[in-house]
Amino acid sequence: MFQNFRQQLPSLDDRHTRRAVMSGIASSTLGVSLLSPWTRVLEAAPAAGTKTAKNVIYFYMGGAMSHIDTFDPKPDNADVQGDVGTIATKTPGVQFGEHMKNLADLQDKLAVVRSMTTETADHGKGRYWLQTSYPVLNSIRHPSMGSWIVSPAGLGKKPNSDLPPFVLVNSNGNGHPGAGFLDPSLTPVPVANAEKGIENLELPSYLSDKAFKRRLDLADRLDAKFKQRYAGYQIESYNQMYKDAVRLMGSKDLEAFDLEKEKTEVRDRYGSSSIGQGALLARRLIQSGVRFVEVHYGGWDMHNNVADGMANKGTEMDQAVGSLIRDLASSGLLDETLIVLTSEFGRSPGINVNAGRDHHPAAFSYLLAGAGIKGGAVYGKSDDRGHGVDEDPVGLTDFNSTITVACGLDPFKQHFAPNGRPFKIGGGGDPIYDILTVS
Amino acid sequence: MTDVHNRYIPRTALCVIGLIAVSTACLLSSLHAAPSPAIRAAMARKRAEKQKNLPSRLPEAVRDQAAGAPFDVAPLDTSVAGREAVAKAATTIDEMLQHEWSQAEVAPRPRLDDEQFIRRAYLELGGRIPRLEEVKVFASQQRSSKRQDLVDKLLTSPDYVSHFYNFWADILRLKERPDKQTLVFEPYMSWVKQSIADNTPYDEWVFAMLTADGTLWDNPAVGYQLRDRGMPLPYIDNTVRVFLGVQIGCAQCHDHPFDRWTQKEFYELAALTSGTRDRQFGGGPKTPAMGMQMMGMQAGAANARGLFQELQEARKKRAVPVAAIQFLRLNNTAVNFKQASLKLPHDYQYDNGEPEDVVQPSVLWGTIPEEFTAADRRTQFAGWLTSHDNRQFARAIANRLWKKMMGVGVVEPVDEFQEGNIPILPELLEHLTDEIIRLDFDTREFIRIIAATDAWQSQAVVYDASGAEPYLFTAPSLKRMTAEQLWDSMLTLVAKNEWAFQRPTAEEIKDVAAVDMTTVSYDSFVKQWESFNEKYGRGYQKHIRQVAGYKDQVLVRASELPSPAPANHFLSQFGMGDRDSIQSSRQDATVPQVLTMLNGWTTHTMLERGSVIYDNVVDQKSADRAIETIFRSILARRPSLGEERIAQQELSSAETPAAGCGNLIWGLLNTREFMFIQ
Repeated sequence: MFQNFRQQLPSLDDRHTRRAVMSGIASSTLGVSLLSPWTRVLEAAPAAGTKTAKNVIYFYMGGAMSHIDTFDPKPDNADVQGDVGTIATKTPGVQFGEHMKNLADLQDKLAVVRSMTTETADHGKGRYWLQTSYPVLNSIRHPSMGSWIVSPAGLGKKPNSDLPPFVLVNSNGNGHPGAGFLDPSLTPVPVANAEKGIENLELPSYLSDKAFKRRLDLADRLDAKFKQRYAGYQIESYNQMYKDAVRLMGSKDLEAFDLEKEKTEVRDRYGSSSIGQGALLARRLIQSGVRFVEVHYGGWDMHNNVADGMANKGTEMDQAVGSLIRDLASSGLLDETLIVLTSEFGRSPGINVNAGRDHHPAAFSYLLAGAGIKGGAVYGKSDDRGHGVDEDPVGLTDFNSTITVACGLDPFKQHFAPNGRPFKIGGGGDPIYDILTVS
Repeated sequence: MTDVHNRYIPRTALCVIGLIAVSTACLLSSLHAAPSPAIRAAMARKRAEKQKNLPSRLPEAVRDQAAGAPFDVAPLDTSVAGREAVAKAATTIDEMLQHEWSQAEVAPRPRLDDEQFIRRAYLELGGRIPRLEEVKVFASQQRSSKRQDLVDKLLTSPDYVSHFYNFWADILRLKERPDKQTLVFEPYMSWVKQSIADNTPYDEWVFAMLTADGTLWDNPAVGYQLRDRGMPLPYIDNTVRVFLGVQIGCAQCHDHPFDRWTQKEFYELAALTSGTRDRQFGGGPKTPAMGMQMMGMQAGAANARGLFQELQEARKKRAVPVAAIQFLRLNNTAVNFKQASLKLPHDYQYDNGEPEDVVQPSVLWGTIPEEFTAADRRTQFAGWLTSHDNRQFARAIANRLWKKMMGVGVVEPVDEFQEGNIPILPELLEHLTDEIIRLDFDTREFIRIIAATDAWQSQAVVYDASGAEPYLFTAPSLKRMTAEQLWDSMLTLVAKNEWAFQRPTAEEIKDVAAVDMTTVSYDSFVKQWESFNEKYGRGYQKHIRQVAGYKDQVLVRASELPSPAPANHFLSQFGMGDRDSIQSSRQDATVPQVLTMLNGWTTHTMLERGSVIYDNVVDQKSADRAIETIFRSILARRPSLGEERIAQQELSSAETPAAGCGNLIWGLLNTREFMFIQ
């Protein structure tokens, strides 16, 4: 369907220069800086005529989502396809797994990448690589895409918002690379349960604001010596979290976290699943000044009974993401919001003795929609069994660099970690220009 | 905030008590600036006494100090010779380290003073901060062996069992319900605790897990094999990773891209355990795991099959919940081994074999020890893996325990030994490996030795993996408490009894869960299911709430709480592992953690009447003593002069001295010093 993108690219240097002129203000020094995104008010204005993303809603399907049962079915090979059927999408000739009813209907707004490939079948490592664009190393912790995007080197925090720039939904943040070596203030604020929002925001009834300030001040004075003696990233992170927590307690926008403010029919439309309510929360947060929302939805590690699992998880995911895209499209927000759906890798074409599918990193599918993305696109091709990539392989850094470009950022600009090592937002891969409306 | 919590808020507001805010009856109110005549003090004391005797809202079981010890722990060799051996082994390690430091011109760290030592010892060996009385006793001791005495005491305490259970639970992925077929896992979880209490030698312990046969309640060690039931290849991957510290998982699908392992080697190893079954009836390798249609020809199988069919019919009519069928599956769960061949995958792509070839079993390195060559293949695998001659088995556990104590492994990550991950000090690693072999895999004795080193007894280092300064184990790295350490420490300040209940043992589960499937009738099976559900299913949650519930929390040690904890539970918030991936616990900072510390129940519960710290502070007769009590309870140390001044000022300028004490407690709990282990 597409030519090999690698042959169409201008030389790296050309792009670098062009991008550098366009984005202009990107900071190139990182690490623990005085310029926290909480205080940042400047925002990179996108060049006229382009529609790059101002917000990102990023769905992560934990456990490794089957590509064959979602976005890359193989109806011609019954032994591969198994018990999950297929349905036609809005784009002629393109089929999805049978539970992707809403997304099939929205295919004209989506780009599907069917030639994803990675090098590990370990959940933890795969997830880290996806989230940071780099493999796990002992000596450094890389920032997640979300932290990069909300950093001063990325899009920064939105002006006039006192909500955190990066929120993680349906996760308590454990195992998330977070801000990595960037400023701790770029750590995502986790919301463990979308329906409960953020808990413990209010002072206990007996404590006045004044008494609270007094206590904070007392704690600071008693801790001064310890903080000084053990100064370093760990202590600094907690110092920052204390500042952020107190700031959040006083935010005027906390209603954004309260799903009760939505009508029942809206909540039902997204579905009562955690991804449904998470998608709705993501929309509210984007509308209220959060830049990057990452919604987690686990349970895809379907070693047993993949057909049952798909009927359940697949349907819920389709309903949630489909409702979100429709909502954003009708409010116009889809033009400035990038939607991403990923998983650490795919699942095996062969169905195992437990009617499940096992880990499969050689070929799988991701989804993009919204700002900067060509609707109706299908990029890359897996072989007829969904086992390997036949055309246009896309690695994790290629995919993440595509996100970088969709956000109007330079995927080849170098940013330096505190230890002096250079990094690029998205890992310096080749963006998939064929599915981008911006470059 | 949950409904349960909300219900309590009005009541809390009504009976604002004790240290929370204004307390007219508290003794400390007599500490107002104005001079107080003796008689006023006496009256105040009387009022305070009365106040203290008012009923606390904390559950009785949590306040009952007289509860017995939850575990009998195997004794240590505390003879003079035993102690000398420990000291000598510790000195050897210290000398090795000191040699390295002088070579690298790294200065040693200052030794911990007694106050810092007791806090580290309790936290790292017992999983919690010391209680006030424990701090006092330790401070008052004069003998030169007091540190060794304390270490020995802790290593034979229930705290040790609880703490090291949490450590292993994160590695072994222990959760009550690992999959839909395994309705309970407590027999195995309880067995892990018991093994720690018995101090079973590590090699025997692992061997038992890898070779166990039978039901969960008759031989709880089968839990290890059941954790990956139905997944023979991930089972091998996980086992090699946990016990040999080597990752061969990539080779499950293709030759390892960065390491030396080939897909063929992976399959050859997996072939040794091929034929491990997890069901009594049915369960040949080709049978779908969820089905029980293929019940086999064993005696009594017909009854079990009939029962299964009846249950399925009843399920269709919604007469029984799906859990009743799971209860049958639980009863059908039993591990046994019947050698089966393993074939290369259908898409095998390398020259050294054809797709679907039967694999000849083989170990990754070395040979199967002679004593096992005649045994079945699964036993051969276990014998090879745990052999004293398999040095990597010893190296992996030595490194793991070193990391547990020092915060950083000699090789990192501890479960990924490979060429690229160079040991910080290779000689040290080999020495530690020799030590664990010399000790016959007595892991507790190994920990005892590390705890006796000067390096362990020195002030923490801020470790930065990417920093320019080499880290040569001059001291443990600065650690934030694990979620469990933090929870158990907070509990220490609230509950006089941290063991309001314990999770059921294998025998207790068996009493209610075991059914003879070859004879049981449908009716009595359903009855049995109901009583099981009442006692250890749904009913169990209700039970533990009744015993130790307070607001929406259950006040008991983390090791006795349901696991994994719900996503918004304190433990999850602070990074307890999800118990699905190996060692997934984390100590990273997040905003919700801080909100919990600022506004959550935990901090405020201990300011209420009946909590340990409340009662201890109320007992004090002067502001200085109250301040000292608070510091020693929370930080296990006395305040410095400067801190004493700040605290005094707080007490005298707060609404009341009692409110000042509340502020001071809250303030100290919200310091980094509390949350970190220095």
